[in-house]
Amino acid sequence: MDISKQKKADFIIVSIDGSLDTSNYALLDKELDALVSSGEQNILIDCANMNYISSSGLRIFLVYLKKIKAVNGKMVVCGLQNMIKDIFSISGFSSLFTIYKSREEALAAND
Amino acid sequence: MQESEPIKILSVDDEEDLKLLMNQKFRSKIRKGIYEFHFAHDGLQALAQLEKHSDIDIALCDINMPVMDGLTFLTKINELQNPFLKTIMVSAYGDMDNIRAAMNGGAFDFATKPIDFTDLEQTIEKAIEQIKFIRKAQETHDQLMAIQSDLDTARKIQQSILSTDFDLISEGSCFEIYATMNAAKMVGGDFFDFFVVDDNHLGFLVADVSDKGIPAAIYMAVSHTIIRATALRGLSPAACMNETNNLLGKGNVESMFVTVFYGILDLYSGNVTYSNAGHDPPYIIDGAGKVVMTEPTKDMVVGAIEGISYHENEVQLSKGARLFLFTDGVTEALNPQGELYMASRLEEILSRSQNLSARDLVDKVSANLRQFTSGTGQSDDITMMVVALSP
Repeated sequence: MDISKQKKADFIIVSIDGSLDTSNYALLDKELDALVSSGEQNILIDCANMNYISSSGLRIFLVYLKKIKAVNGKMVVCGLQNMIKDIFSISGFSSLFTIYKSREEALAAND
Repeated sequence: MQESEPIKILSVDDEEDLKLLMNQKFRSKIRKGIYEFHFAHDGLQALAQLEKHSDIDIALCDINMPVMDGLTFLTKINELQNPFLKTIMVSAYGDMDNIRAAMNGGAFDFATKPIDFTDLEQTIEKAIEQIKFIRKAQETHDQLMAIQSDLDTARKIQQSILSTDFDLISEGSCFEIYATMNAAKMVGGDFFDFFVVDDNHLGFLVADVSDKGIPAAIYMAVSHTIIRATALRGLSPAACMNETNNLLGKGNVESMFVTVFYGILDLYSGNVTYSNAGHDPPYIIDGAGKVVMTEPTKDMVVGAIEGISYHENEVQLSKGARLFLFTDGVTEALNPQGELYMASRLEEILSRSQNLSARDLVDKVSANLRQFTSGTGQSDDITMMVVALSP
């Protein structure tokens, strides 16, 4: 899995490339922790190239959703592949996150 | 070797003068308690000393001695197989053949006579470094062994938490139940449970804690206890999930959560009332072998967000029907090509499994999974449960 970051308007876009699972969720944890610690309040997770997410990955999403909400920020996701959409739907995470089709749509909606 | 403890050096030499010389040259370190010297005049005496002082760190040994020479002494030391004891051989400069033999025989280093004490001190210090390093490695190894042993115990405790009275609970009744949990690591986060709610109702559940290993195992033990205690009060599946969620969600700093499918089977009617909290929907295989997924309720995983309300669904099991519950360790098992087992493979094998007993059905899917993964390391806990109604 690769993680890349990009600043766009009020958002930090964090792109996840590959499979987010037990072997590497700690990397995402570290990246997001650094962003929240540095005062970032709006995070967009771009999942367009994420082909798998395990429950340990979902847990990291949840941890930072709570942290971001605590500072009145926004954490949204975009570009879910079909299998990821199913995982979000079954686990109930669809009701927790605002999910956009693409990063353009996410940015426009939060402009 | 603690910093405060002196380094114990055994000097083995038939020259009486050497004892005086050592005590004189290393006087300062001896006085400060850094070195502690013991003396022997030949190999035999030295062995007796080693037996008396098993904590000697360094043997400083002449090669040419009466009774038992240095090379013979060295082979005896090797037999002790003490990795913390280092031998430094001492001989005349011209005695290179014997020195080579000693080095090849496992001596740590050598010094030549007449002894250059500055050089000898450096050699001793080098040996001390080496001994410290080995001790450190040994300590780490011991700690790992202790952790391993704790994990063994934890694994046994975890397996004993899981009910196994499959035959007892269904004795004389119209159903069969069987389940297995195979952790990817020593301990896991998956679990299952089943119990008699009342004369007419069987409660059963399969659950999967986010993450694996020790944190998951601790969370698993807590979740298992709370769900069972709540369920045994006779609460409906949704009410049970509501309560469990609020109890687990309190002060959950790590945002751990657990996906749960909890069903209550009415033994007279075959009706199942269930709540699905973020868990993979189980399958129903009807008497004719048709495989249908239970309707998901799209409810949140348990423990993540306090105060939410869970829903309930009902499904009617016909005579001879089987309910197959599982965790994502089944559908997300990987083969050597990196492909997932997927729901499609599971559905296919289930569709060819009518009329199997609960145990045989679990075994059949297990075997199919093993064949698929063909030795690829298990990356997630794998749990399966079958509730089968008699035809």
